[in-house]
Parts: sequence; structure tokens; C-alpha cells
Amino acid sequence: MPTNEESYKIVDGVKFSLLSPNEIRKLSTVEIQTADTYDEDGVPIVSGLMDGRLGTLEPRQKCRTCGNTAVACPGHFGHIELAEPVIHVSFIKLLHKLLAVTCRNCGRILLSEEKIKEYEEKIKEVKTRLNTVPESLYKKILKHAKKTMECPHCGTQQFPIELVKPTSFHEAIEEGAPKIPPSAIRERLERIPDDDLRLLGIDPKVARTEWMILQVLPVPPVTVRPSITLESGIRSEDDLTHKLVDIIRINQKLSEALESGVPINIIQELHDLLQYHVTTYFDNEVSGLPPARHRSGRALKTICQRLKGKEGRFRGNLSGKRVDFSARTVISPDLNLDINEVGVPMALASRLTVPEKVTEWNLEKMKQLIRNGPEQYPGALYIVRTDGRRIRLEFVPERESIAEGLQPAFVVERHIKDGDIVLFNRQPSLHRMSIMAHTVKVLPFKTFRLNPCVCPPYNADFDGDEMNLHVPQGEEARTEASLLMQVQDQILSPRYGGPIIGAIRDLLTSSFLLTAKETFLTKEKAGRLLTAGGYVGDLPPPDVKGPNPLWSGKSIFSVFIPEGLNFTSKSNLCSVYKCPDCRKEKCQYDAYIVIKDGNLKQGVIDKNSIGAEKSESLFHRIVKDYGSTVGKEFLNSIARLLDRYITLRGFTYAFDELAISDEVRQKIKKATEKAEERVNVLIESYKKGNLDRLAGQTIEESLEIYIMNELSTVRDLAGQYADSYFPEDNQGIIMARAGARGSMLNIGQMTASLGQQSIRGKRILRGYRERTLPFFKPNDAGAEARGFVYASYRDGLNPTEFFFHAIGGREGLVDTAVRTQQSGYMQRRLINALEHIRVEYDGTVRDSTGNIIQFSYGEDGVDTTKSDHGKAVNIERLVDSVRLFSAKGAIAGKRYIESKIDSISNKLPPSLVDELRRNIQGAKLTRKSVDQAISLTIDSYVRALIEPGEAAGIVSAQSIGEPGTQMTLRTFHFAGVKEQNVTLGLPRLIEIVDARKIPSTPTMTVYLEKKYRNREKAEQVANAVTHTILEDIADSIVSDIAKMKVMVKLDPNTMKDRGITLQEVREALKPPNSKVNIDRYDVEVTPKEMEIPQFKRFTARLRVFKLKGAPSVRKALVLEDQGEWIIRTEGSGLDVALNQPGVDKKRTISNNVHEVAEVLGIEAARNVLIKEAMAVLDEQGLDVDIRHVMLVADMMTNSGVVLQVGRHGISGEKSSTLAKAAFEITIPTIVDAAVKGTKDMLRGVAENVIVGRQVPMGTGLIDVYMSMPEKEKK
Amino acid sequence: MSKDIKKRDVTFEHELMPKHSIITKKDLEILLKKYHIQPYQLPSILISDPAVQAIEAKPGDVIKVIRKSSTAGEILAYRYVIED
Repeated sequence: MPTNEESYKIVDGVKFSLLSPNEIRKLSTVEIQTADTYDEDGVPIVSGLMDGRLGTLEPRQKCRTCGNTAVACPGHFGHIELAEPVIHVSFIKLLHKLLAVTCRNCGRILLSEEKIKEYEEKIKEVKTRLNTVPESLYKKILKHAKKTMECPHCGTQQFPIELVKPTSFHEAIEEGAPKIPPSAIRERLERIPDDDLRLLGIDPKVARTEWMILQVLPVPPVTVRPSITLESGIRSEDDLTHKLVDIIRINQKLSEALESGVPINIIQELHDLLQYHVTTYFDNEVSGLPPARHRSGRALKTICQRLKGKEGRFRGNLSGKRVDFSARTVISPDLNLDINEVGVPMALASRLTVPEKVTEWNLEKMKQLIRNGPEQYPGALYIVRTDGRRIRLEFVPERESIAEGLQPAFVVERHIKDGDIVLFNRQPSLHRMSIMAHTVKVLPFKTFRLNPCVCPPYNADFDGDEMNLHVPQGEEARTEASLLMQVQDQILSPRYGGPIIGAIRDLLTSSFLLTAKETFLTKEKAGRLLTAGGYVGDLPPPDVKGPNPLWSGKSIFSVFIPEGLNFTSKSNLCSVYKCPDCRKEKCQYDAYIVIKDGNLKQGVIDKNSIGAEKSESLFHRIVKDYGSTVGKEFLNSIARLLDRYITLRGFTYAFDELAISDEVRQKIKKATEKAEERVNVLIESYKKGNLDRLAGQTIEESLEIYIMNELSTVRDLAGQYADSYFPEDNQGIIMARAGARGSMLNIGQMTASLGQQSIRGKRILRGYRERTLPFFKPNDAGAEARGFVYASYRDGLNPTEFFFHAIGGREGLVDTAVRTQQSGYMQRRLINALEHIRVEYDGTVRDSTGNIIQFSYGEDGVDTTKSDHGKAVNIERLVDSVRLFSAKGAIAGKRYIESKIDSISNKLPPSLVDELRRNIQGAKLTRKSVDQAISLTIDSYVRALIEPGEAAGIVSAQSIGEPGTQMTLRTFHFAGVKEQNVTLGLPRLIEIVDARKIPSTPTMTVYLEKKYRNREKAEQVANAVTHTILEDIADSIVSDIAKMKVMVKLDPNTMKDRGITLQEVREALKPPNSKVNIDRYDVEVTPKEMEIPQFKRFTARLRVFKLKGAPSVRKALVLEDQGEWIIRTEGSGLDVALNQPGVDKKRTISNNVHEVAEVLGIEAARNVLIKEAMAVLDEQGLDVDIRHVMLVADMMTNSGVVLQVGRHGISGEKSSTLAKAAFEITIPTIVDAAVKGTKDMLRGVAENVIVGRQVPMGTGLIDVYMSMPEKEKK
Repeated sequence: MSKDIKKRDVTFEHELMPKHSIITKKDLEILLKKYHIQPYQLPSILISDPAVQAIEAKPGDVIKVIRKSSTAGEILAYRYVIED
């Protein structure tokens, strides 16, 4: 029973084309002839730029064309007849090409008839085979035609066409290069036949080339360029109007000049000026043209500027819009709220509304809401009657009668109330958990309140953060929000398949203390805690009986663990003790958690059990095995319980607790003194010159590395001394161990010593000449002079230390600022490249045009969110629980198990089948249990499968982009060896998705064949792949110009270093056209007769003559990795390495994706992409499921070559014009589409957002289809 | 699908390079029918790709790739051979 049934049309597609002059005239309602806008009375001048026929701006004025008021009038175009044709800047490149490939006389394409035929057929053939014609083919045709200098059709000689930026063409005929006037260009373009245009990819039906030269200029309606009246009553015109005024003025002058026969040069000048104005009217940022400016000096914002960029039409108004029904305020925590709830301040609740339909059942309630009105809560703001009239209650003086007049089927826009569903959001919205649905809880005061356990997905804290709230207005929207977006449904992150929500901060401290072995509670306290947790029922039996019974913290905690849960794991505390062997259940530190049947038997509960962002924790198990509702209840209860406990107990970290004893202080002092001594020794030996140089490092660099190693041990040592001093009940230690806040490093820095301050991973080396600060002697390389801070935060820093600390701190700040920008852009590119990827009903992953990206999502079809930390089924747990609950009986035989598993092997992926077999065989199950385990596994697998319609692309893009913000910038890490630097962290990840041709640190890992796996042989191979040129092993290279000879003296020592023998030199040194004479270490090269400059070049080439190795391998290091001798190279040359005897051809690999694609193929490149990206993420300790990385890699390698994630790669290949235009290169994309007559079928996401349709993903994909009876086949 | 590996597969010894083989016309038909697609909707592989060269495939052939998968164990993928 909709109140206002409106018929409306849905955009089916968007076709781009050029407007012909005739179309422009036809569209036009008025020819604009006067440059003026309004007369003195403020009335629009007829045939002026604000002519009434162009639409209306004033609210109550009727449009002279369509008769509508300003609300409904869409505005109407006018036109200007240009006195002389003018070139449209956006087509300038295309025009240049067209002029170059067509005949200046007959206009035909400069290809012979046969060639034309050939290409036509080729285009046809490619089109049937690939469904599209690749841009490269058109480029080839263009290139071919460009070469022809004589027309094959009429025999006219052609001349090169020069484009003189910004908008003129010159033809280089013999007598010079005269400018071709636009009218002449137009004539030439008119002569090009339609068929020839098709060869260039232009659709002549929608884009005749001559239309690119303007004769008529469309004038946009006034609604596009409204004038504004300032407070002072002065009218101010839009930038476009200003520009149009200029155009009309010059156009008039030009036509007058043409009529009155003014000298040609004046006409030319006027024409150029007209061209300038038209050019800047379209684009005011053309290179080579001064931008048109306002009187104030501000550059005008003309058409291109309106569309382009972040605040442009596409990104600023079409892809994202401003909305009503939203609110924003500061957030603060409230543990008493459910994790699904959000506290909304009263002031906001009485401004935000939800439309509610009046029925006979809620009539009375609605009447009361109307009586309450907009001010009194709960009230209402509007009534929408069945005839569509809206009554704003604010303006109704007497609401009683309106309330009485309320009828069913009216709609009341009432205040939001408790239980309404709203969307809650914190920017930056990096992943889908940045917008979640909450239920409203109206509260006093002025902030939004949320349960602090929900902070991690929003990445929120309460230091002044603000958040946004949106109220869905439709029934459908509310339903979807409550079913899919509620916080409890988002507990498990799609990034890694574990909980992202969980206890944080004090809750962890509290649980650590509560569940400690020593904690016992009196009846009163136990009762209070249980009440806080929302427990209703009898007290559990006390752990200590007697007149004063006591309850252990563990048993109080156990009350809230679901019954029947069995669980074991290590706690966060475990990581403190570095036990060589875990004693598991017998752990003396109570760091091993055992839960039996829902009872916490032993172990402390801390971050590893209930913390946020911890996979395979107690909380994870509960959510996974008992569902999100039980999980939510568990978290709610324990959060309140723990809050109450820590309130009762009290917790504070006092300044006194940072104090260390004099004894420890002495120990630290001694350690630092010793280190200082060692540093001084190093410096001394450096000065004397007997310091050992590290391979691949200069002597200075080596010294730095030695000193840094020395000093880093000092801080660690100091920290350790301090740690060992603090008792276990030190509150700082408690926080660190529980995982609530801070680390041992932080405590060490507060109490013992701050340690080395650094810039870019090095000690502080800059500042004054030869020293960092004037307080030090020049060239003092000592610890203090290079930024080592002995003091702790507690003791306070001395002035120089403070300064160094500020330097290090500043770098941190700059780093974060740079990082957010970089990762933000990476995220945007990833999202744009993958937004249209979804899972189809057949399980394939496809793009919006139906091209297959993956045959099965993540190769096993499993949704990470529904997986168990990435695994489809936790078979171990499953088999275990089956065993526990099975009845006793005969154990199933091996044959029975085998046959059973074989029979279902097509229902599960091979890896699961193997795991199932292993686990069942090890578990000793009865036949019945075996059947049960198998069927349960299949059930769980099927349940873990991804659903059709899932926006797999967006989820993956978010899962890779979001952790980008957490990555460190500029981590040059040592790859196993000290000598080698490898780019890691965010820069490397960006490099991978960028698919750079050469990574910043290309490297190979060369594995060796069995016989070669020892240092000696490995070094031989290493030498063989290292690039060695003549210069490297020569003592001197002298070129004798008189004798035309080059004399080279080889250096036997470096030759030995480089592992090259004379024999090898003899074999390799064979420069072309010359004679080589080698006599021991003297080499004489005599080239054939040549001139002196030639000879000089010859010598230069000889110097860098390659003797062996791969050209880009600068260094090769031999090292032992996990008991195997391998080679790591700096620089990479995979083909050379793979052909080297002794190299393992199976495993040797490079980190250069393009190189791998070339040598081993696209599939291998895909594997390298996955491997490299996963390695970067792992190294940063970021948990990202491999399926997301796979999807990105599959997308990058889908076309057979490695494409970058960005405008020159995946995004550039997108089929949708609108999506491409909204991404980066707006104007050229649209121009290109118009010339080709492209039709955007609106199948992706960005396009549909732009035209305002539902997005074809997830629930938006569902449509009603009907199968029609098939046509009878004859 | 069938298991007809054409010619030598010597280059497929590298662990990152999965096995490629040309699929028969019949298998191709089954594949296209299964997914309701045209060949160009499959992922592509260049004719110049070392793996394609090794099995001497021609443009228009569809190649079966037996990938090792860290999630599923082993999985099949297909690529359509195209010119550069």
C-alpha cells in the first residue's frame, strides 16, 4: 500500500557519442547573441546568457521553455554560432593522428587497398575470437599508415603534420611549415570516408571526425551555472558564464571583422583569441596556455575542472553524496551497553527520524507522538499524508487536531527510539567493519556511547574521536542491516577468519588478575561479580569450604563459559617464559589453559584467550562453535564482570613503581660503561685502520654496524636488569603480561635506558659539519655523540639526549603522515581494480562482464570469514569431539576407512581429504563414528563455502589495503645476512601491486644441486653468476691511440677474488672485429682499422666488456640457510642463473615478477606474486588470508601479462567507461569512449553507484527470472 | 577432463611452474558448457609464454594448468592462448 506510486525509469546503459553541429542546433532553445546577462532591473536579457528560455533559477518563476518551476525544470541548452571554426582541445591528440594518417588531398587512409582489406579482416577475425579489438591493433594500423608518404589512392605527396601545443597544426611542406587553419582541417576531416575511420577504431555513426572542430558551441542551461546574489545585492556570475561572455564578445568582434574586411592579421589575431577562450572554456589547465583568471587572480574553474579530481563531479558528487538522516559527535566508552548497541544522545535522538506507517494497531501511539511534537521526546517531526503532502510539525501551532486527524496509511516520521537499527561509522572506512549496524539506546549527555570491545574494528579510541551515525529509512534497508551488518555478525574478520572484536585494555588486566591462581573471593564479592555479569541462578559450589567459603576467580569466570566447551591453549603469559619444552598441563606458571566441559581448570585468561584480533582463542572457539549470539552474550557478560572486578580491586600504575634499586642502577651503569669501552676500542681500531671490513660494506659502514650491534645489546641488557628487579605484582608488568597495554621494552625505556635514537635505521649522523651538535668534538663517533640516550624517562633526559629523542620522535611523526597517504592510495587502487569482482552461482569468481578470474574462490571455494583461521574445517577438533561422544565398540578397520573416504573424495578438496584420512586413522574410531566424522566434515565444508554474490573483490582489496596502514614504512631489513638489504614493509607491498618492471632491491635465491651444497662449490657458482666486466679485474686499461691498441693489465688478486681464471678470460674476451693477444696478465686488444672517435668508443665498450655472469647481478653471497648452502644475489638474472651448472633448476627463484613471467611463464609469476606478498605481510606480523592475495594475483595475471593495480593496468582495462572516469583519467577516458561510441552496460559497482541503481553484488544481485519455454528447434 | 599431455614437459620441473597441457576439443566443449562461457572469457596466456612454447600450443588453444594450491591441495585452471 504505497502512498505515492510513481512510475520511474531505470537507466539501462549509457552510450557516449559526439554531438554533431546539427544536433547542437536542434537541442538549442535559443541562439545566444548578446554577451550581457541582466539589465538594470535584474531581468534577464533576451538572447543573452541568462535568457529565460535556458531554464529558471528563482524558486517561483516558471520556465519559458517547459513551464516548470525551478524544482522540476531541468534547464535547456542554447547555442552560439561561431564565426570561424575552432578546435576542441580534448580531441587535439586524436586530430593529430587523423591528419597524419589520412591523405591531404583525398582524405583516404594512407594504406593500400589490399592492406585495408587485410586489416579489416584482421579486425573482424580478432573481434570474433576475443570479443574486443585490442587497442594495440589500432595502434599498429596507425603506425603503419603514418609511415606512408604518398597516398596509395590518389598519389598525392604527404607532409609531416606538426602539433604546436596547445591547439594548432602545421604542415611541414618544403617552403616551411604554415599553420593549417581549423576550417581547412575541418574540410580535410570531412573527406575521410566512414570505412576508413572504422579502421582506426572510430565509430563514424556517432563521431564524425569533423565534429571535433566546433562550429556551434552549446551553451549550458542556467541551472548548470547559476548566478548568486550576494548579501550586498550584487550579482555574481558563475565561472562558466564569465567564460561564455568572453567567447561571445570575441565571436562578435570576429564576425564584424570578417564582414568589414579587416586586414588578415587582425582577423587571425581575433581567431586565435577565440580559440584561446574556447579552449580555456573547456579546460583551464592546458599545458602551454596561461589559465584564464578571475579579476582577483584566481584561475577559473571551467568544464574539465568541474569533472576532474577528488572534489570533481565524478568522485565528489556522483560516486559519493551528502546524505540526510545522519549525525556526528564525539564517542565515549560504556561497558554497560551491549556490543550491538550504540548510545545516542537525547539531543540527536530528537532530530533523527524513522518513517513509520500508521496502522490501526499503532494509531494511538502515533497520535501521542504527534502530540509530543518535535521538541518533546519521543515525538515526531513530520507527517506524510496519503496524498503525498508533508506536514512539518515544527510549524504546526496546534498539534492536537492534527493528531486526531491521523489515519492509517499515513506515514509518521518519528524520533528514533531504543531498538531502532542504525549504521555506525568511523573514518577512514578501510574495511567493511568500519560501518556496522547497531541498535539505538537513547541516553542522556552529548556523546555517542559504544562498548569498548568494538573499538578494534573501528580502530577507535576515546581521545576525542568522532563517529557518524546513519538512520536507514526503508524497511528493506533496516532488514538487511540487522541481518548482515550487526556487530555480532561481524565478530569474525574476513581478513583472517578470526575474531576482530574482543576484550581490550583494562578488561585484559582484570581477567589476568581475576583468573590468577591466587585470586579467591568472598561470597559477597562473588555474588557482586556474578550479578554484574548478568548471571541468574545459584552460586556455584565454593572452592574453599568452611565457615567463610571462598570462590576462586577461575570458577567465577567459568560460570560464563558455555557448557560442554573443551579447550586448551597457551596464554599470553606463556610468551614471557621461554621454556625450552612446554610442560603443557603441568605448567608451573599457570600459563597453559585447560577448559573442560565449560570449566576453567587451569591457566590465566588474558589476551590470548579473550583478546581482540586473536585467532584460535577461547572467544574464537565460542563464536565458532556456539554461534555469534552466544559469543556476543559471553563477551558482554565477561566485559561487565571484569569491569566490576577491576573496579572492586582497584588498579593503578604509580610513578614509584618505576623506581629501581641502586644495586640494579649500578649494574646497568656497569653494563653501559663496558659497552662504551668496547665502542671506543672499535673506534680506535677503525682509526688505526685494522678494523675488519664486512663484506659488501665500506669501512665506515662496517664501523657503524659494529657499534650499533654493541649498543643495541646495552639497552636490552639494561631492560633485562630492570625486568628482573620488578616483582610480579608490579602493575606495569601485569599490564604487559596480560597484553593489556605496553611491552617490556616500554617498561625498560621508562626505568632503565631509552637506548639508541635513530634516523632511517641508522644512528644520528647529521646536523653540524662533522658532528651532530656543537657539544661534541668533530668526528666523535662515540655513543653519546651519535644519539645514544643513557637516561630513562623516569630519570629524565639531558639536553643533548632530549634533542636526539626529538629527532627520532619527529621521524616517527613524518613516517606516519607519509604512510597513511601511501597506504590510502594503495587501498583506493586495490578497491578500484577489484570492486566488480564477485562470486557467481557456479562458484567461479568473475568480473562484471563474465570473464573468469578464478575457477573456484580461493581455489577451494571457502569463505575466509566462515573458515577456521583460514582452514575450511578444523578436522582435528571435529574428529576429537566425535571420539569423545562416541559409544564404545569395535574399531573400524583401515580398509573400511579407505573405502569410505574414497567414496566422498570428490566432495572435498584434496587437501581436506588427506587431512581427514590422517586424523581418522589416528583416532581409532568405531565404524559409526567414522561415518559421523566424514559426514560432519562434509557438512562443515559445505557450510564454509562462499556464497554466490559475495563481493569477493572488495573484501580482498580491503583485507590487503587495511593492514597497509599498520605497516612500517622504510623497513630495509636484512635478509638473513647482515650484508644484504631487502625492501620490505609498505614500500615493497606497493611495489608488488604496482608490478614495477624492476623492484628496488631485485634479488635471487639460488638453490644448489646436491653435489654443490658446500661453501666452496657454492662460491664457485656465486662467482659464475656475478656480473664481471673487464674493468673489474684489470689493474690498468691503457688505450694507445698512436698504435690503435688497447693494453690491459690484469690484476691476479682481484681475478682470484672474482673467481675467474686466465683461461676463462681468454674464452670470454672476444670483442667483435678485433684481435686479442693474451700473454699471462698482459692483454693486448687490436681492433680492425678505425677512426679515432670510433676507437675511443671501442675502448669504452671494452672496459665494460662482459666476461661472465648475469648483467644485473652485482653481488652474490653464499650463506647457510637451515643447514643448506644457498646463494643470495643482489640484482637478478634468472635465465643466466638457471642455465648455470650446479644450480637447482627446481627451486631457484627471483623476486622480480616480470622476470619470472618471462623465464618461467605467467603461472609462475602468479605464484611469485602470492609468495612475495605473503612474505611481506608475514614479516610485518600481519595476518592476511592467502585467498585474498591469490585473488589479487589472479587479477593481475588474468590477461597473460602481469598488470599493475592502477590506471595503467587492471583499472585501465576495465570495460566500464564511467568506472574508469571515476577513477583517475577522467577526461581522456570520456573522450575516447565518445569517439568509439562505447556503451556502458552498467554491470560493475562504480557505474551503478554513479547512475543511482542498486549495486549488482550480494543482496543486490537477486532478481526474479523466469524461464521461457524454449523455442522449438527445427 | 582428460590427461593428454602433449609432447615434452621438460620445462615444468621448476616448482613454481605448474604443469600445462593442451585440452582436446571435446574437453573444451565440456568446459565451455559447464561454465556457460566463450573461450575469450577464460583467463589468457600469451603464445610467447615459456610454458606455452614448451607444449607447442597455438593461439585459440585452451591450456589446462594443474596448480598446486595451499588451500585445496591441487586444482585445475584453464587459460586461453592469445597472440601477443
